[in-house]
Amino acid sequence: MILYTTMPQELIFQTTSAEYAKQQLVYYDGIPLLVRETEAKEYEIIRNLSTNPQHFLQAKYSPGMRVLPTTITS
Amino acid sequence: MNYKGYTTSDSEEKEEKKEENATTAIQQLGQTNIPQMTQDSNIHCLTIVGQIEGHIQLPPQNKTTKYEHVIPQIVAIEQNPNIEGLLVLLNTVGGDVEAGLAISEMLASLSKPTVSVVLGGGHSIGVPIAVSCDYSFIVETATMTIHPIRLTGLVIGVPQTFEYLDKMQERVVRFVTKHSNISEEKFKELMFSKGNLTRDIGTNVVGLDAVKYGLIDEVGGVSQAMKKLRELIELNKKEEGKMLQ
Repeated sequence: MILYTTMPQELIFQTTSAEYAKQQLVYYDGIPLLVRETEAKEYEIIRNLSTNPQHFLQAKYSPGMRVLPTTITS
Repeated sequence: MNYKGYTTSDSEEKEEKKEENATTAIQQLGQTNIPQMTQDSNIHCLTIVGQIEGHIQLPPQNKTTKYEHVIPQIVAIEQNPNIEGLLVLLNTVGGDVEAGLAISEMLASLSKPTVSVVLGGGHSIGVPIAVSCDYSFIVETATMTIHPIRLTGLVIGVPQTFEYLDKMQERVVRFVTKHSNISEEKFKELMFSKGNLTRDIGTNVVGLDAVKYGLIDEVGGVSQAMKKLRELIELNKKEEGKMLQ
């Protein structure tokens, strides 16, 4: 079937349940982070969910940085 | 001599590592250096961005604010004695009514001073969140859409459904009128006015107008908000001092 449309794919097709499992909330140094597991079994930070503005000034908690799953506290 | 040799190699290694860190920073963030600060902040900042997620989890490509993340953070802010104030930054399209009201009620009942800033947009259920704080700001270019409660794509079939929605709407109206200077008549007038939104009823209120209607306290950005928050913190401290005496 060929579907001709300008609508984005995610508006037409339902997201698979596997997509939901890709993102998760972890605590690293007590900071809540939204992460995504990469192919190398590392966690890539998507969003820093902390309310402390100082946590946003440290490069290691910024989006795009990698965190090892072994260092995750919970 | 040996010792000296060891330190040089060590510092070289450090240098190499530093450089490596800088390259990853460029790759990941497009910038080289972020100022390092270690001191703890007495003002915390809560960002309400994207959609406010309710009982149904949205697909991961959506940017959402989840109440199960936000509510424990508000509890932690209430409990932590080092935190003296909270700044709430809003740029939301709205979302779930119950989740939005839950966040609003949590912010309204917080004992510490709270100041909100609407940046970009604070639409639909973002309105009660913006007014729930002790003092609210809106930047000149930000907008807030006020519209009735609705269920997208569903037809109201029975009178009970309509009454349920009406009651739900009444909760929002009551909360907003209680926590801001806008009158119920004015708020409902904006909510049901025609000809402002495309194929919908409601009003899109921009910066200055939001202040004019009494919905938001003042037009201003981050510096005004921080100044106000510090003022409120001082006031709060004085009151606490009085209570102790």
